[in-house]
Amino acid sequence: MRAAGGFVLFGLALGAIPFLGLPAFYETFLYLLLHAVVLATSWNILSGYSGYFSFGHGAFFGTGVYVTAALVAQYDWHFLATLPLAAGAAAALGLALGAVVFRVRALRGELFALLTLAITFVLATIMLNKVDGGPGIQVMTDIPRLAPTASGALYLLMLAIALLALWSARAVFYSRFGTGLFAIHDDEDVAEVMGVPTYRFKLAAFCLSCALAGLAGGIHAVFVSYVTVAETFSIALAVNVVLMSALGGTRHWLGPAIGAIVITALLYGFTAGEAPVLGRALVGVILIAVIVLMPEGILGKLLTPSPRKRRARTNSGTEPELRSGNERAPSPNSEPMLVARGVSKSFKGVQALVEASFEVRRGEILGLVGPNGSGKSTFINVVSGHYLADGGSLLFEGEELLGRPAHRIARAGIARTYQVPRPFAHLSVLDNVALPPMFGRVTMDRASAEAEAWRWLEFTGLAGKAHARPAELNLHQRKFLELARALASRPKLLFLDEVLSGLTPTEMDEAIRLVRAIREQGATIVFVEHVMRAVMELTDRVVVLTYGRPIAAGLPRDVMRDPQVIDAYLGGRMREEGSIYA
Amino acid sequence: MLEVRNLRVSYGAAPAVVDASLDMEAGGLAVVVGPNGAGKTTLINAIAGLHPAEAGTLRIAGASLIGMAAHRYCDHGIALVPEGRRLFSGLTVRENLELGSYRREARARRAESLAEVCGIFPVLKERLDAAAGVLSGGQQQMLAIGRALMARPQLLLLDEPSLGLAPAIVLELFRVIRAVNAAGVAVLLVEQNVAAALDIARRAYVLEEGRIVAAGEPRELAAQPHIRRAYLGLH
Amino acid sequence: MPSATLIGQSVLSGVFIGALYGLLGLGLSLSWGMLRQVNLAHFALAFLGGYLTFQLAGRLDPFVTLAVTVPLFFLAGMALHWFLSRYAADMLNTLLVTFGLTTIIESAIQRIWTADFQRMESAYGAMRWKVGAFYIPFPEAATLLIAMALCGAMWALLRFTDFGRAARAMTEDPAMAAAFGVNEKRLGYVISGLAAAFAAVAGMCLALTHTLAPVQIYAWMGVVFAGVMIGGLGSAIGPLAAGILIGVSEALTMALTAPTWAPLVSFTLLIAIILLRPARF
Repeated sequence: MRAAGGFVLFGLALGAIPFLGLPAFYETFLYLLLHAVVLATSWNILSGYSGYFSFGHGAFFGTGVYVTAALVAQYDWHFLATLPLAAGAAAALGLALGAVVFRVRALRGELFALLTLAITFVLATIMLNKVDGGPGIQVMTDIPRLAPTASGALYLLMLAIALLALWSARAVFYSRFGTGLFAIHDDEDVAEVMGVPTYRFKLAAFCLSCALAGLAGGIHAVFVSYVTVAETFSIALAVNVVLMSALGGTRHWLGPAIGAIVITALLYGFTAGEAPVLGRALVGVILIAVIVLMPEGILGKLLTPSPRKRRARTNSGTEPELRSGNERAPSPNSEPMLVARGVSKSFKGVQALVEASFEVRRGEILGLVGPNGSGKSTFINVVSGHYLADGGSLLFEGEELLGRPAHRIARAGIARTYQVPRPFAHLSVLDNVALPPMFGRVTMDRASAEAEAWRWLEFTGLAGKAHARPAELNLHQRKFLELARALASRPKLLFLDEVLSGLTPTEMDEAIRLVRAIREQGATIVFVEHVMRAVMELTDRVVVLTYGRPIAAGLPRDVMRDPQVIDAYLGGRMREEGSIYA
Repeated sequence: MLEVRNLRVSYGAAPAVVDASLDMEAGGLAVVVGPNGAGKTTLINAIAGLHPAEAGTLRIAGASLIGMAAHRYCDHGIALVPEGRRLFSGLTVRENLELGSYRREARARRAESLAEVCGIFPVLKERLDAAAGVLSGGQQQMLAIGRALMARPQLLLLDEPSLGLAPAIVLELFRVIRAVNAAGVAVLLVEQNVAAALDIARRAYVLEEGRIVAAGEPRELAAQPHIRRAYLGLH
Repeated sequence: MPSATLIGQSVLSGVFIGALYGLLGLGLSLSWGMLRQVNLAHFALAFLGGYLTFQLAGRLDPFVTLAVTVPLFFLAGMALHWFLSRYAADMLNTLLVTFGLTTIIESAIQRIWTADFQRMESAYGAMRWKVGAFYIPFPEAATLLIAMALCGAMWALLRFTDFGRAARAMTEDPAMAAAFGVNEKRLGYVISGLAAAFAAVAGMCLALTHTLAPVQIYAWMGVVFAGVMIGGLGSAIGPLAAGILIGVSEALTMALTAPTWAPLVSFTLLIAIILLRPARF
């Protein structure tokens, strides 16, 4: 592996520095550089990748610092032995925090930032009162003779951790785990519905991030040799890591390191000089400039939208398959696949679904229609796991779906499109479609998932746009992207939510042709639509919902002539006019 | 008074209204019907200034509204009763009404307007100090209309006022709309409920997939195939 | 167990400091609640106001310095709103940009007035009354009165005037407010200006009652944020009530345990409210 070789070479090169006999100033500077690299890189693993900006990285760093300081100063431990505990304590703290916080759906964005900031202060106060006692802790210990000088030895230790942090960040970046995190960043709810176990992934990223910070803290305790709460838990650290990552680019594993090097060099340059205050002011200016001019950071600006190496792929030529076990033409007496019984859902007093009971039969295209506000989209959201139903039961191939987390429902073989397309904005079209195969019913590795994605891009005619970002597509293409993404996980049951709205008549014909082709592959489709001519053309059966209740089910032409249905759509008087009936 | 020609309104890349034309004379009562997704709300939001139209003509009393800032539309005598009411639930009934008359010309006549609105909707008078969010659906619709009337408009725009309401309340609602129109306010109504809409209007338009496909007297339109096809898919 | 007098005096000082929390929180509450901008620079601005008062206090009565600082800061607030609306689209970016601004202002303060503690000398510093067994210092009492007056005035403004109704409607549904003639942009400037003007006043009270040092800017952030979140975003009176609650809790904690435990109170309350009622924000 080229990457491993690169890391080793890099590590050896940098590791030679303490043996060059440079003045201590350089070793100290390089140590601080690496220290910043570790903190920024570790922060980025959760916050940059998944978008959960933490302002509390200092808390975990500080935990590591104090674990080592206390164990060495108060219990006479050898400092190297304290490092696993420093990392472990920080990770445990992150785990405890994340376990609570990540469950609360509304806790994102600035709330998460403020919460993590508050945690830092709480921890600082507890440390001050319980561990430190006020004056700080003196950490005097033997430093292993890894290099000619003590500072050199510490530099080597921090180098090792920096390499570890960079390696971890890189590994996550290229893994399925990393793809999931990036999806969470763009649209967590959709990621969950596509099969990404969001809670678990966030927790894992958080723990890894905290452990690395704690490890760095342990070494730093020895480096400074005199530990105080004010210095350790300072708000400057929390914000500096954000700044470094934002400057370098949060969407790449190397971004934070670059930002760390730039900022540290700047700050050090000024501190060593005559205007430390000016240096800090400059850091503030840079932060503002970065947000305004380079929202994606240095690397974001330099690299193309698809920073990961792409193997040039042409179409595979094979027909995509959905085969879910039935190739006979569906008949009205097919067995039921999804059975809804008494499903209810209300929001703040508005009854969106009221005791809805109907079934979806294997292999059919079922039309789900009804006037505005009748509960169609709510039903899809309940089935896919977006919403928790208030009551009733939803059996999919005999298994209860209600109460299951959305990513497990995706695993069971249910997929959906969104009425207003919700692609992952920062992922390319190809990556968007490659995600469900990695997390859906059939979990594939990255290579197979990409191959699968190509097939579906061919199918929907989007192959030419594979490397574009969703923002570059027009509405028609975005709707087809939704379709390709839903199909890529080879679902047994597919829900199409108003996939035709907003399309021109020609585009609509193309979409209808596509839906037919999908069914021919063997998928069962529930088709929510307002464009009635499409419903008439495509569907085998129709279910009509009004005010959250199904009022009719059967063949399209029969159902649309049902007096109750006409009432629901047009209002009672029209029926009396008599002119509506053919 | 209201002149709409070849209006085009999009949401980003998605065209919602492609080619809409309609006319209204002062004091008129017109209705736009069409199935869900046809673009009715987009059309009325464009006329009210909530969502900018990108091409076409939009004039009221001769003044062109295209490109004007959203908060200036009401100065031209337009008031909107939006889909879903969109009341300010954090404000009381009285405060919602007072905000309705925020524009300068209406502010001067606030007390008079308030008395009139309370006369039309006695139920609001009783609950002036209640928070708007606790009213029932029908009462909220009354408040939304009252709020719009407080602006002393020449043109009242209503977007699906019957949505989510019981038939008896819908009847009462349409009685009020007729009365308001009789007092001289032009009314443009967008409705999914075809029966109620055709009953009340003097002129009707059918909107299908972003285009006005038919226009005329309500009774004529009911006899034509457009509505049947648009709503039920039957030929 | 401390004496009743000591506890009483603690509660009193808690009320006084709480009033300052509330005064500092007023501007933050308005810009966060109504404009959806988390302005971290609010604290730096307040301190800047405090330092300016300190600077001018040699020649002018501290209260008179407001005639200079308030209009100046109102304009600064408008300028900040312009910059944020133009360049910092979402909440997180606003947070980061205002943090950058804080660093710049803090550095400027340190450059001009040094990092040392500065204490404003004024005739008011020594004035105090004795009511029963308790001491009421003038600067703190003045702060309490000013806080009550300003928060009360703002509350009345929001409650009884067209401007207030328009602002509240705009917070809830800007598009519908615009449909009735509310000019969101203009209101944004006014509210932002007001928030900064309140920061100027809070700064003067800070200078009156505390020693100033640049590093102190961060010390107030957490507790005032807690007060604003507990009192309710966009509320005028809420942060004051919450601030006093926090101040009294802290004072009692200090009297009954040790001063170093005090920060725990506000931050724990903050954490609790974020976890229990995230939907409020």
